[in-house]
Amino acid sequence: MLVATLAASSAGVFAADPEAGRRKSEPCAKCHGADGNATIAGTPSLAGQPTFFTHWQLIKFRDGRRKDAQMSPFAANLSDEDMADLAAFYAAQRPRARSSAIDPAKAAAGRELVTRHHCASCHTPTLAGQKQVPRLAGQDLQYLLKLLRGFKAQTASDLDGTMTMAAQPLTVDEIENVAHYCASLRP
Amino acid sequence: MQRSLVIAVSALLLGAVTLWLIPAQAQQPTPPPSWKQGQPPSLADSSLAPIPQPPAPTPASEIPVNKIKLPPGFKAELWASGISNARTMTWGDKGTLFVGSRVAGNVYAVVDKGGSREVKTIAKGLNLPNGLAFRNGTLYIAEISRISKMEGIEDKLDSPPELLTVYDTLPKDLPHGWKYLAFGPDGKLYFNIGAPCNICMPPDTHANISRVNPDGTGFEYFAHGVRNSVGFDWHPVTRELYFATHGRDWLGDDSPSDRLDVAPKKGLHFGYPFCHQGDTLDPEFGKGRSCNDYVKPLLKTGPHVAGNGVMFYTGSMFPPEYKNRAFLAQRGSWNRAEKVGYRVMMVTLDGSGKVAKYEPFAQGWLQGQEIWGRPVYTQMMKDGSLLVSDDYAGAIYRVSYSR
Repeated sequence: MLVATLAASSAGVFAADPEAGRRKSEPCAKCHGADGNATIAGTPSLAGQPTFFTHWQLIKFRDGRRKDAQMSPFAANLSDEDMADLAAFYAAQRPRARSSAIDPAKAAAGRELVTRHHCASCHTPTLAGQKQVPRLAGQDLQYLLKLLRGFKAQTASDLDGTMTMAAQPLTVDEIENVAHYCASLRP
Repeated sequence: MQRSLVIAVSALLLGAVTLWLIPAQAQQPTPPPSWKQGQPPSLADSSLAPIPQPPAPTPASEIPVNKIKLPPGFKAELWASGISNARTMTWGDKGTLFVGSRVAGNVYAVVDKGGSREVKTIAKGLNLPNGLAFRNGTLYIAEISRISKMEGIEDKLDSPPELLTVYDTLPKDLPHGWKYLAFGPDGKLYFNIGAPCNICMPPDTHANISRVNPDGTGFEYFAHGVRNSVGFDWHPVTRELYFATHGRDWLGDDSPSDRLDVAPKKGLHFGYPFCHQGDTLDPEFGKGRSCNDYVKPLLKTGPHVAGNGVMFYTGSMFPPEYKNRAFLAQRGSWNRAEKVGYRVMMVTLDGSGKVAKYEPFAQGWLQGQEIWGRPVYTQMMKDGSLLVSDDYAGAIYRVSYSR
């Protein structure tokens, strides 16, 4: 019910076309996979990510608030419509698990940390993400590590500062544990 | 001398806040995200959460401006669109409308070309640049912890000058850290430093309205116990400060009310975090306190309505009874089962400054429980018509009147 309402209201904001998004995603496929499931370690899977999330990240790359040698040039020339179409396409793809090397002990420790640090408040109890908040379940381990370390160092791009704040209490080991737990979940 | 003391005190307190955010022992539970903080265990399963900002503005063709309902004789039209997250509006001397935003991180200049408007982004990547004020050719911009300025901007809209810092020793806290900014009748810049939480005992540096000279000197607190005010104006006759405040969350659908207040002088305390809406002690921080020790609201504006913009009407286009009425833009609720707000209200004061009437002016952004826009601030045009910004649709509407 909630999902249906959200889908309806976001469609009202921008009439996105997932089929157009599929065509526009061709240059993205080399790294992110034809269906948004990446296989390169350190590169995130976009399949099943909420539309607002993907769209916001593309805007941040275009604005220069989020910087990446490969992504920034790609996003520089995208229109709002292109971004909405791409986000709608990736949201409609079925996410698959990554082949990250999970340490079960770290993942078990991470599970408690995820509860203690209230990650589910925004990322939902299954860590599937919602609205502007990304899916973490089954995301690539190296990518999760890179982002969490960046938030802790206050160098990763953050929409409104929430993640930078959330990452501050985490120790180096705890970041590893949280990342292993998230990566270990079925997407 | 006084300034360096303020800096030293701010630095100390910033340290305290940082410690508060980072527990000494990692085993201790960390605070939940600020919007969820203060939620009682009985509501742990609540699905209520802030409404996310859409990543892109709504295309003009999809904005249902005809759904805006107004009193007879008034008409709304779409004045400008494609302005992602459009919020505060302030006029330049030469007729440029400057528009601030929050999560979009942009500041815009809207140039009226007669039949249409051109939107230019003059600054981007800023830290929630909600506050804008303009004086003597200079645009002042308030981000979370910094007030800066662009000199001579109206002559350089296509190659904006760099931002010069005016004052940057403000708290860096994210929650309620974004600012409203306005020149008071005394020529000082006024802005809010919100409580860094939903409900907490704020450091002495927070939960206030402050002011500073436009050259960065003379910082001082003006009003205390203000949870977060992101909209204020001065009465055109009495020149007293009127400000809207968002009430705390998670105390129920109908409690507490947001408020409209008046601060005729410096140093008053408006109750946060001890007393809400002038008559309701906080279940935790109200213990041993009395609401009579704090200034009571001029008006309870309604629970969770999210009162943002406050603006006294001084134009001549609207009927004479509109003179000196206050328009209150209410961005609308998230922490309430049934949505409220999403409208522009108006307040009529009587000769003694009491509220004679509180009634809707513009509504219709909320249809059933679906929203298509969120009115955030109002601004008058030279001809006396009223602009209303909508940060959800990324648009500005113009409301005009004719007999």
